[in-house]
Amino acid sequence: MNAQSQIPVTVLTGYLGAGKTTLLNRVLTENHGKKYAVIVNEFGEIGIDNDLVVGADEEVFEMNNGCICCTVRGDLIRIIGSLLKRKDKFDAILVETTGLADPAPVAQTFFTDDDVKRKTKLDSIVTVVDAKHIEQRLADSAEAEEQIAFADIVLLNKTDLVTPEALKKIEARVRALNPFAQIHHTARCDIALDKILDKGAFDLNRALELDPCFLHGHAHDPSHDHSHDHDHHGHEHGHGHHHDHAAPSAIHDEDIRSISLSTDKPLNAAKFDTWINDVLMGMGQDILRTKGILNMAGQDNRYVFQAVHMVSEGQFTGAWPAKDKRRSRLVFIGRKLDEAALTAGFNASIA
Amino acid sequence: MATPGRAGRVTTISCGDYVVGAAVNGRLFAVALGDGTVHLIDSETFDAEPVKVEAHNGAALCLAADIDKGAFLSGGEDGKLVRIAPASSKEVIVETKGKWVEHVTAHAGAGVRVYSSGKDAFILSKKTKEPRKISHATSVGGLAINPKGKRLAATHYNGVSLWWLAAQDGQPTVLEWKGSHLQVAWSPDGDYVLTAMQENALHGWRLSDGEHMRMSGYAAKVRALAFTRRGHFLATGGSEQVICWPFTGGGPMGKAPSEFGGAGGPPVTAVAANPLHDVIAAGFENGTLILGQPGPGGTALIQKATGNGITSMAWNPDGDRLIAGTEGGDVHLVDFRLA
Repeated sequence: MNAQSQIPVTVLTGYLGAGKTTLLNRVLTENHGKKYAVIVNEFGEIGIDNDLVVGADEEVFEMNNGCICCTVRGDLIRIIGSLLKRKDKFDAILVETTGLADPAPVAQTFFTDDDVKRKTKLDSIVTVVDAKHIEQRLADSAEAEEQIAFADIVLLNKTDLVTPEALKKIEARVRALNPFAQIHHTARCDIALDKILDKGAFDLNRALELDPCFLHGHAHDPSHDHSHDHDHHGHEHGHGHHHDHAAPSAIHDEDIRSISLSTDKPLNAAKFDTWINDVLMGMGQDILRTKGILNMAGQDNRYVFQAVHMVSEGQFTGAWPAKDKRRSRLVFIGRKLDEAALTAGFNASIA
Repeated sequence: MATPGRAGRVTTISCGDYVVGAAVNGRLFAVALGDGTVHLIDSETFDAEPVKVEAHNGAALCLAADIDKGAFLSGGEDGKLVRIAPASSKEVIVETKGKWVEHVTAHAGAGVRVYSSGKDAFILSKKTKEPRKISHATSVGGLAINPKGKRLAATHYNGVSLWWLAAQDGQPTVLEWKGSHLQVAWSPDGDYVLTAMQENALHGWRLSDGEHMRMSGYAAKVRALAFTRRGHFLATGGSEQVICWPFTGGGPMGKAPSEFGGAGGPPVTAVAANPLHDVIAAGFENGTLILGQPGPGGTALIQKATGNGITSMAWNPDGDRLIAGTEGGDVHLVDFRLA
């Protein structure tokens, strides 16, 4: 099986009432010329006649005797295993999670099970956020926070129910939790489906398409300044409202945060590798996601790295564009992040 | 007679889609496919066109021999349990809404059929009118009735539940072991229950004293397991060779397995023990099909690699004809009788 025949899988998360069902119904009913297999957590509200809608019980279990990074969804392994026996009959798989689900086991399923890994590829994690109620959700539930922290794409939905000022504040809040997600504004999940499907967020070769700002090293995170990250503050740039830098907002919850590290100096690949492995092995339980584009000494190609908890992958992809200044950037999203230690470790990998 | 020295004559037919399961009942073989059809193949007239039955709307998920001669049971994504009878007639036995019928098994001697859908399994007995529903905390990963037809093993997360088939109520005996348990097999003497796990490992229990056994070291998911006819060996997939655990003289605990076939190639994906002779047919992910036995008996090549992985196999009761289904929908019909 080559990458060509791997079926892309989009994971749809979002707190109860955020608008996941609306989005799913659009995918199922819109005339987009593609056939999706949709795995939902309960039947009832959606797509009655589509025979590729499958109900799943979110059955999470720990493989390898309780290894946290091997916490996977056994029901997905079974269902996808069966779906794959109907070869060439659908173009993509969409997995809806319940409003209270932790996205990690879903994501890890696609890196842990051999059969699933061979025949499908995780495309992206899309999180629908209810703009009107998100402040309250973040205040009273860990799940809402986790779902945003895990996202590759955030759909800030029901924007018509909040003022532009409130929206700006909410976006800054989302950014603080997740510096690398693409953020889209919608009123009723009205978004072109190609903005959320087939995005290749986990495809290291396509990692750069998702967020051009990431490469340029502009920190999205308005609430954390880093001493080594000194040359971009105050930059405004023309990537549209998705990437506006809001004024630092008051972040009360110490739960999930992000840390962005960057440097202009080339890194030593071996040193970086050892360090990042130690970090993920030691703290991977608290680190939800990691993404990096790194400049390794003696290499003309960019090293792209990503991890879900402890499950990581990295590879050299295409060459640095000539116009780009080579700059390494690494973002951690998680709990209890020791910024000083991470900064010191990162700086110690400089060649 | 099938012996490792004789390779058999192979005829390959195309049934069209992924072969989900293969089964035998008397002189009839059956395969169930990803397109929802079941094909019946007469072992006496291998050359004849198989009889095709449109059993399911959506993929078939499981197949087993039914309790009377020549009939089969298949379950599918359409939530139906279907009986396919000799004259290629089709009868829907059960229809569930919005649930898949994922596993089915039956025991002719006991007159019992069992199928599962999600966390629930249902026991249909000839003696009682109403099916008995038995529930588990998580979805059922596999079903097997013991050789005597008295007990059912149903696998799930963190172990196996053993149910008495004749009882109308009562709780199961739960054999616990952390992790997700899938395919399950009983030893011919009924004393051992073995499961293939989500991890690349097997787990087993000896019922007489509750002893556990854990067999690991596999390169891939084990998926396929079959006891040889007298229970001397458990042949397993998941490795580049056919791994055979010895069950003579106190079980496999502390003993090394015997191996045959393959070397450095793709993993074994299907095994089937011959019902009359001490040989095992094994199929590989690259489509290779071999016949062999643990020890010095040697290995015979039945079918060279085709790139079309073997998913399932079945022997006829005389042990001289074999069918093997593949991912791409080809079915190999192998005749070991003297020409």
